[in-house]
Amino acid sequence: MPATEHSDDERERCVTGIDAIDHILNGGIPRGNTVLISGSVGTGKTSICIEFLVRGALNGENSLYLSVTEPTDKLLVNVIPFDFFDDKLVRQGKLQFVDLPKIYDKLGIDKEDLDFDQTRLLADTIAGIVEEQKIRRLVLDSVTSVCYRIREQERIRDFLLRLGTVLSAKGCTTLLVSEIRSSEDGYSQWGVEEALADGVIVTGNLERRGDLLRTLQIVKMRGTTHSRAKYVLDLTTSGVLLVPLLKGGSVASGG
Amino acid sequence: MAVEVSITSEIAEKLRALPDSSAVALHLKSDQYFDAIQGMLDRFAMKKDLEVVYVTSTIPSQSIINALEVLEIPMDHIWFVDCVSQIMMSQAKRHPHAIIVESPTMLENIMLKVEFLIRGHPERNALVVLDSINSLAIHNNTKILSEFLHILVNHLRSRGAYTVIFSMREYETEEIRNMLVLVSDDSIELGK
Repeated sequence: MPATEHSDDERERCVTGIDAIDHILNGGIPRGNTVLISGSVGTGKTSICIEFLVRGALNGENSLYLSVTEPTDKLLVNVIPFDFFDDKLVRQGKLQFVDLPKIYDKLGIDKEDLDFDQTRLLADTIAGIVEEQKIRRLVLDSVTSVCYRIREQERIRDFLLRLGTVLSAKGCTTLLVSEIRSSEDGYSQWGVEEALADGVIVTGNLERRGDLLRTLQIVKMRGTTHSRAKYVLDLTTSGVLLVPLLKGGSVASGG
Repeated sequence: MAVEVSITSEIAEKLRALPDSSAVALHLKSDQYFDAIQGMLDRFAMKKDLEVVYVTSTIPSQSIINALEVLEIPMDHIWFVDCVSQIMMSQAKRHPHAIIVESPTMLENIMLKVEFLIRGHPERNALVVLDSINSLAIHNNTKILSEFLHILVNHLRSRGAYTVIFSMREYETEEIRNMLVLVSDDSIELGK
């Protein structure tokens, strides 16, 4: 192997269980990475995250979904009925769903804007849950909503750094959902999120001759070589499926 | 009806002679269409216990299903990826064994639906029928269609599935023939 080429054997992998993503990443997300999953509405971010957690729980890894914007009971009604989902995972506590507003309440955070201390308290509380419950897979849906309450870039940076460092040290692989508008440049609302994340997975819509295709592209992933090509995505009861985006000289819009 | 029997037998016999995971271009005339389907599904796929994924961009899946019912071919292991019903705005009723792709231009979605159906039946080997290259060529240019065939056929080959690509002789062009030669392991000329 040339000296400049990355060795994929160096890092333990968190095998997502989503075959195509594991294939693109040459075996999965490097364990402990914090990955931004970024896209506009209806592009499949939440479905990818839920599958990531369910597959992890099925594999014996404690998995936690932190919901910020939508109550989890409502979320679970609307989520794709995966063939491989097993209620037992929830009953056994392998797969947990927690509403972040309930954590805000417990911490006595009632103001819209979080100050420096509250931001740190929130990061430490999430880290504490991860440690106590031995969580190996975490989804924060969405980090954008949390950042709306933190507001200042410096405090957002502190929050993400603090959370990312602790979770990585505990071997917890984390997906942070980033909500962006389809017209936006960059992969996050404040720009800080994508700079601090170990990986960035972008979901989107591509219009081609009047057809609207769901797409996925991994633009960054520390600790592994990976394809940076764009793929077309389908959300099915068997899970997330991907195929390469066909070029064929007929793509009218770069999306 | 001696000719019909000969077409159904001919196609079944020729497909049986092929090794597993073969990709075949099936050149046929329009009047051989339903006999070819019968031979392929009833005489070949059923005998080999194959799960059939039938991609139709020529006529709506319901029309083929109606024909299969008349021929008393059981639907238990036959699934459709229907790329034509939606654009024709014709069909309110959806058969439980048919998945709709909005348009034959959504080639990636055809691949995704084929993959979805194959994954649903991991215990059985699959036969994937592409009906037809000519109707797909109406909606797609040669470059993207060649790319689609190349990726799909190689993927199916790696999964051990058979692929049969229909090509109607009346509508064949030089470009289509070249495309089929590139991706197919073999070619069957029905009735020749």
